[in-house]
Amino acid sequence: MALIVCHSPKGGTGNTFLAAHMALGLAEAGADVTVLSMAAHDTLPFHFALPPSTTLSALHASSEDSVVVSGIDLRHARTAPKDPDFIPMLKDLGYFQTGRDRTLILDVPSCERNLARRLVNHACAHLCALDTAPETLALLPQMFDEAGKGGLSRTSFVINRLDDTRRLARHNAAFVRELMGPRLIGRIRLDESVPESIAMLQTLARYAPSSAALADVRRLVDIVLPALDTDISIWSGAKSSSYAA
Amino acid sequence: MRVDASNLLNRLGRQDFSYKEFEDRFTELELWPMLEALLKDPRLLELDGAAASGAAAPAPESLPSAQTQAAEFVPTPPRPAAPPAPEPVATDSISALFRRYEGPNAAAAPAPPAPAGSGQDVRAMLRHLSELGSRGEI
Ligand SMILES: Nc1ncnc2c1ncn2[C@@H]1O[C@H](COP(=O)(O)OP(=O)(O)OP(=O)(O)O)[C@@H](O)[C@H]1O
Ligand SMILES: [Mg+2]
Repeated sequence: MALIVCHSPKGGTGNTFLAAHMALGLAEAGADVTVLSMAAHDTLPFHFALPPSTTLSALHASSEDSVVVSGIDLRHARTAPKDPDFIPMLKDLGYFQTGRDRTLILDVPSCERNLARRLVNHACAHLCALDTAPETLALLPQMFDEAGKGGLSRTSFVINRLDDTRRLARHNAAFVRELMGPRLIGRIRLDESVPESIAMLQTLARYAPSSAALADVRRLVDIVLPALDTDISIWSGAKSSSYAA
Repeated sequence: MRVDASNLLNRLGRQDFSYKEFEDRFTELELWPMLEALLKDPRLLELDGAAASGAAAPAPESLPSAQTQAAEFVPTPPRPAAPPAPEPVATDSISALFRRYEGPNAAAAPAPPAPAGSGQDVRAMLRHLSELGSRGEI
């Protein structure tokens, strides 16, 4: 079992995209994956080629009611931020241990910073999607401050929506890369086929098998996968990567 | 992706492609006061000592070389003049990160010598970013 928390200090950076594609990639590699959306208005189903009429059921709902795509169980936990029993429940379900046999991916909206921080303490990994907007970078000091040294140990960063034809995006990406060192485990390029696939009600892999974003996210899955079985942070594990060579 | 683009990729035998090789000069990087302000923010130091959780970080020899990792990540041809790989971050610090850039290249920078202290660190880091940019590694 493994708990992966996807949370970013800034909204719109692709946290849900990352949670969804981690789920798809890990499931493809043989993991038994559940994704739990904690957003009040969740967009998670769209990354699984589901139509807007889809509603996800709660984590505790019976399995007959659940939405399962490519073997991935999609659930919501909208009340979790206010539910004191939520974290104990995850513990009882066994998700605070490592192992890829059952993996729970949490899509925690950016505004739920307290919940995210508490969850990260128990998680196998925290994936933090950043885009290259200056506002996103500007939130990093506050994020670091709130997390503290211990709280950052499980955090791995991903640059998403990278458009390196843009000067500022390039500069900001370089800044993040230098700042994070091996904690930056990858980057995902901005790719028009991401929204196009959603509009087509198809998965990205089906709609655009040669999508740059898909290739990037698959590379990330290869980095995350071994970390599910260990207690060592993704970024310090064998496959962690550095741009700085 | 448009059909013509995916056909082109197929003809090239590529899964994907990215635009490459943009030059960013040091002076351009200096244009963003946001980056300079962030580099001076002491809260970024929280990254120091935020070591890997679990018992022990893996021994350095168990890590693939940084060159291999980078080659996997950003497929650029190996460069003989590549600077040495960074230390594992568990033992690293932001100030050490800055010090890494105070190498012999620093003397070649066009800027007049900056006063010692964080201002210099910021300039050194921006200069390093610029060097990465000029090698197409950003
Ligand atoms: N690599 C990418 N290329 C192109 N579009 C992307 C990419 N990643 C995400 N997107 C798109 O960017 C938008 C924001 O992504 P997403 O909804 O995953 O962000 P979020 O961080 O979960 O946002 P929120 O704060 O609203 O929950 C979405 O329209 C998504 O489809
Ligand atoms: Mg979201």
